[in-house]
Amino acid sequence: MISKQKMKVVYGLMVYFLVVGVLCYAAFPVSPPEEPMRIMFKVTAGKVLFDHYAHTSETAYGLSCWDCHHHPLDDDAALIACGECHTANETAEQPPDICGDCHEPDEIEDTPIIKRSDAFHQGCIECHQAFEAGPIECAACHMMM
Amino acid sequence: MNNPKKLIVSHAPFIHIGSSIPQMSLHIILAALPAVILGGMFRFGASAVAVVSFSIATAMLWEIAINLVSKKPVSVGDGNAAVIGLIFAMLLPATAPWWFVLTGTFIAIVIGKQIFGGMGSNPFNPVALAIAILMISWGDFLDFDEMYRHFQFDFIPTYPLTAVKHFGLDAIEPVRLMDLLLGRQIGGIGATFGIGLILGGVYLMIRGFIRWEISLSFLGGVFITALIFNIIDPSRFASPFFHLLTGYTLVAAFFLAPEDSSSPVNFIPMLIYGAVGGMMTILIRNIGAYVDGAILSILLINLLNPLLDKIRPKTLGKVA
Repeated sequence: MISKQKMKVVYGLMVYFLVVGVLCYAAFPVSPPEEPMRIMFKVTAGKVLFDHYAHTSETAYGLSCWDCHHHPLDDDAALIACGECHTANETAEQPPDICGDCHEPDEIEDTPIIKRSDAFHQGCIECHQAFEAGPIECAACHMMM
Repeated sequence: MNNPKKLIVSHAPFIHIGSSIPQMSLHIILAALPAVILGGMFRFGASAVAVVSFSIATAMLWEIAINLVSKKPVSVGDGNAAVIGLIFAMLLPATAPWWFVLTGTFIAIVIGKQIFGGMGSNPFNPVALAIAILMISWGDFLDFDEMYRHFQFDFIPTYPLTAVKHFGLDAIEPVRLMDLLLGRQIGGIGATFGIGLILGGVYLMIRGFIRWEISLSFLGGVFITALIFNIIDPSRFASPFFHLLTGYTLVAAFFLAPEDSSSPVNFIPMLIYGAVGGMMTILIRNIGAYVDGAILSILLINLLNPLLDKIRPKTLGKVA
């Protein structure tokens, strides 16, 4: 049997850990940095972990933001998630909502926007081929089973 | 009255290390602390503190709750719930959400342990069971690549086992064994710091709180199986040292496999139990669907435990 004195210590420790746990969860939530470090794309062909930091860091590949975020060129408005414009499915009906931030509807009525998977495949593979660096095979990016 | 120093002898097999359950729990917690503090808390700070503290507290709370519901004496004083909470937290990423921890400790304490009658009656390791159920239910929260995507590291920021499974040996070419020993890899809060885990495990084995036969045969099973794969195709399968120091291998060897209730007690069964666990870990990693096979292999050997315990010395004497 555990003595009452020891049980008080046990209960005290339990309350202590509970308070510390709740406080740490509440006070130090894990929030995404302003500029992504790595992005996990969850797609049917298998997840892709894209190292955003390695692509942009001067000590690694040192790409300019506008090498990938291409529209509008050299404008901070382009620094948004790729999927905002390049949606998951082919959209023939109407352009994504975000286009309306800068354009009138009739101005972009017939503007083709390729879907997200095509944009990634095109953008990544062309760049990797041009620099003769980086993967171009499916299984070199996608975590395939 | 029972004399507390007197060992009541029942039928074989039996073993007594002269220590109480609260003492054993305390020593297991102490053995785990280097890996948790130096490997997890120093690297991830308050996030890791949150997960570990919340896990220990909720495991104890679930234990009290189930004791009250089942109208049994409160057993939280034996420290076993705290041990389960701590080991469970060791396997989680430092960014695990609170509800994930709360659900996991519920599964471990209530479904993994108390439903079977409490400590000593559970057929499966409660922590392994909880992780396995969470892995199947919300696998993304145990995907370390995804859970640590917001963190910057001064080493390769990908989970070594995922890298080698999906992208081959080239992906882990820059990984040095010393990095793995020093915890310069991503993984569970208390599963990355190899030296800390080895020190903790050796301490527990020397003090007799875990059976060396199980831990060493588990590691031996991992090493030999990984070595065979590596010899067969060194361009595809990683070295045995890599497998020893990545994923959940060391936690499984020192903190999961030797759990009293779900492991055998005789010499030969312990060796088989550990070796099969190590072997299955590598089989699942190298040719199975899952990235790390340690958890599932622990559950598998737990399942074998009653059968293995049939291998025992003949009883002396005869029934009249």
